[in-house]
Amino acid sequence: MPGQQTDGRSGRASVAARPFQVRGRFITAIALRLETESLDEGFYALLDEQLRSAPQLLLDAPLLLDLGKVPDLTDASQLRGLLEELRARKLHVFGVENASDAQRPLAKELGLIPVLVGRDAPVEKTGGDRRRKIEKLLPPENILLTEPVRSGQVVVAERGDLTVIGSVSSGAELVASGNIHVYGTLRGRAFAGVYGDETARIFCQRQAAELLAIAGIYRTSESIGDDMRDQCLQVFLKDDGLKLEAVT
Amino acid sequence: MTTQIKEAAPLGKIIVITSGKGGVGKTTSAAAISAGLAKLGHKTVVIDFDVGLRNLDMIMGCERRVVFDFINVIQGDAKLRQALIKDKRLDTLSILPTSQTRDKDALTMEGVEAVLEELKQEFDYIICDSPAGIERGAQLAMYFADEAVVVTNPEVSSVRDSDRVLGLLASKTRRAESGSEEPVKAQVLLTRHDQGRIDRGEMMTVEDVLDILAVPLLGIIPESQAVLRASNVGTPIILDEPSDASRAYQDTVPRLTGEEVEMRIGNERKAGLFQRLFGRSA
Repeated sequence: MPGQQTDGRSGRASVAARPFQVRGRFITAIALRLETESLDEGFYALLDEQLRSAPQLLLDAPLLLDLGKVPDLTDASQLRGLLEELRARKLHVFGVENASDAQRPLAKELGLIPVLVGRDAPVEKTGGDRRRKIEKLLPPENILLTEPVRSGQVVVAERGDLTVIGSVSSGAELVASGNIHVYGTLRGRAFAGVYGDETARIFCQRQAAELLAIAGIYRTSESIGDDMRDQCLQVFLKDDGLKLEAVT
Repeated sequence: MTTQIKEAAPLGKIIVITSGKGGVGKTTSAAAISAGLAKLGHKTVVIDFDVGLRNLDMIMGCERRVVFDFINVIQGDAKLRQALIKDKRLDTLSILPTSQTRDKDALTMEGVEAVLEELKQEFDYIICDSPAGIERGAQLAMYFADEAVVVTNPEVSSVRDSDRVLGLLASKTRRAESGSEEPVKAQVLLTRHDQGRIDRGEMMTVEDVLDILAVPLLGIIPESQAVLRASNVGTPIILDEPSDASRAYQDTVPRLTGEEVEMRIGNERKAGLFQRLFGRSA
């Protein structure tokens, strides 16, 4: 989970004063795998047809050129021509993958990043935006547990709040897209707002957590400090930092 | 109308003795509990699931009588009857030893189930002595259980491992997977309890342990030299000469059968005596 730790122990609000923040980011890219080295008119005609049939899929998406099947495409002018044609079609090529040794320097010359990691994922069918909108309209699926959560168990509330009536042992994990409530001692880890909901909060009757996180910003028990231990409290984000506050 | 008294069908209750962590007293407890149940007149069998690290038969003092074992039965090389060893001290007690030369892969789900089913037709209590860890051997030992005794020492790593095991009992057992049956009834047996070390803050208190594990307490067994001596001579501690530990197991066993026995801590009486001697002078 991308995260950034605020230094809870230093006196000044270091986060607010810092001019930048380093954050991890996962992005989804589209890969265009070339199956032929002859980049002729037929190639571009088929590409245009593909773009017409699924414009949302390819437009404005970061795009990788997969050269795995065309190791002999090493002509710089041919590659440059391809790049220009693709960019003219509003395809944002930013890198190449599976480039051969001969292709890698060419790609660098053209300002393309040779990407070494990454794997195939099913390409989202057109209408992904729509599905996301529908998901937002669906009622939340809150989870209520009436048993203690044991060490080694992971409970995920994919869409909604997670409430535990009982204790959460050290070595257990609670994950929720919304808020997390623990009516008992929270000794494990709690991740609230995992899809970036910065308004999510964590509530617990007694805090002895290993880790608390909201929208990727976390504190470990070491940086939570002993004064907040065994307290009944709520945890929320304020000024990009994790705040712990007693609930009275 | 005939008033013929039919022998009651055996209870056939499967109890797993488990812990996660090693060296906390699982096998000692399995031996003591099975001998204790047998002593109360219940037909009891104790099975060693720790394939490759055969210990139970030594603690039960029958290692020289092992011919066939649990694995032979599972693989069809021997009949269950051939592998079961009758205890010489208690005729209601049987032992099903495991193999020292094989490993846990020799256990199969179907094989274990078939053996347990056959034992259920004959015995009131089937005690499964689980290996340490949470891998295959331990999971098979707990899978068919009706009840579980989670053996825990009052120290943090043991408690955390017990907690993990309680989680598995609530998810990776036949009862848990059926969804319709009652979950496995789990209880904690606190072993190697040392009041002196607890008072000095070196060990967790009973309350702390129960607060974390959140399951009922079956018993408290004090740390005792007698345990090592008894296992060295191959006598379940409960059948050995009186000691704190054997008394504590004697209190514990009837609780498994549903009887209520007052909870007492092994050397509590001693503390009482000292209090009487020194408490008044102040």
